[in-house]
Amino acid sequence: MIANESGSAAATTMILLPLLLVVLTGALELGALRAVAYRATAAADLATLVAINDHDEVEQTRSGALRPSADAEQVARAYFAMNLSSTAAALADSPGAIAASADIAVFRIAPATDPATGWTYARPAVRIVARVPVRTPAFRALLLPAVTTVTVRAASSAR
Amino acid sequence: MSHSSERSISDLARDERGAVALETTLMIVILIPLLFAIIQFGWLTQRWIAQDGVTVQAARLAGELGGDRDELRTYVAQQLTLVGIEPSRAVVVVEPARVGWREPVRVSIQTSETIAIPFVISLPMTVASTAVARGELQR
Repeated sequence: MIANESGSAAATTMILLPLLLVVLTGALELGALRAVAYRATAAADLATLVAINDHDEVEQTRSGALRPSADAEQVARAYFAMNLSSTAAALADSPGAIAASADIAVFRIAPATDPATGWTYARPAVRIVARVPVRTPAFRALLLPAVTTVTVRAASSAR
Repeated sequence: MSHSSERSISDLARDERGAVALETTLMIVILIPLLFAIIQFGWLTQRWIAQDGVTVQAARLAGELGGDRDELRTYVAQQLTLVGIEPSRAVVVVEPARVGWREPVRVSIQTSETIAIPFVISLPMTVASTAVARGELQR
């Protein structure tokens, strides 16, 4: 009877150990994915801040109003790519390509409502919505997609 | 008959001891390192995210100050201390040291940590964070 229980324990271990490894692998990959998503969001956040901090000086001198500069979209795109570079190894596409395909909107007149996110801006703003493809090789081992696309959103308003 | 029964019970008891020994060995050799690995890597991820936040704020400040200034170094040291990182162990690089208006300024912070997993490995790891902001100071 005890010998049978011992066999049962061995069988349970044989079944549970792979299951434990699968769960552990999935959890680790999910954690890594969350970390990359966090970094991509921080990159988008910093890019929108940089873009909105550069005001249209002519407009500011003329009316005193803070307006994003004419090249705010290009600036946001360039800084988004630069800040994504530190996580390039984890990305399935180049930072430049991800930034180039990002949906970047500049709201020069406020108040405004963003049709893409539903966010409302009380002041002029720059917004980024980007789809960031992240390599997830461990997911592939678990028969899940080898690339997981994370959508990041960030917006900054002039102050 | 009675002798046979005694041997049988003795064998069974030995089997049980074997099973317990096997379970204990598995727990020590697999589960404890696994537990420590989860704790250590979780701690390292938390450290990396915290350091990353400091780096982003430092890049913004570097843009406002116009590059590598004492105020920036002091700010980074304070913020690293707040998130539990010893500032003396961090290498902070600001490129370029003097940034012009609308030029990119890159701030990198690098710290060395050690991951120690009992019975398995103890290895040094480098935690690196980089952020790029834009010079806002018109000289």
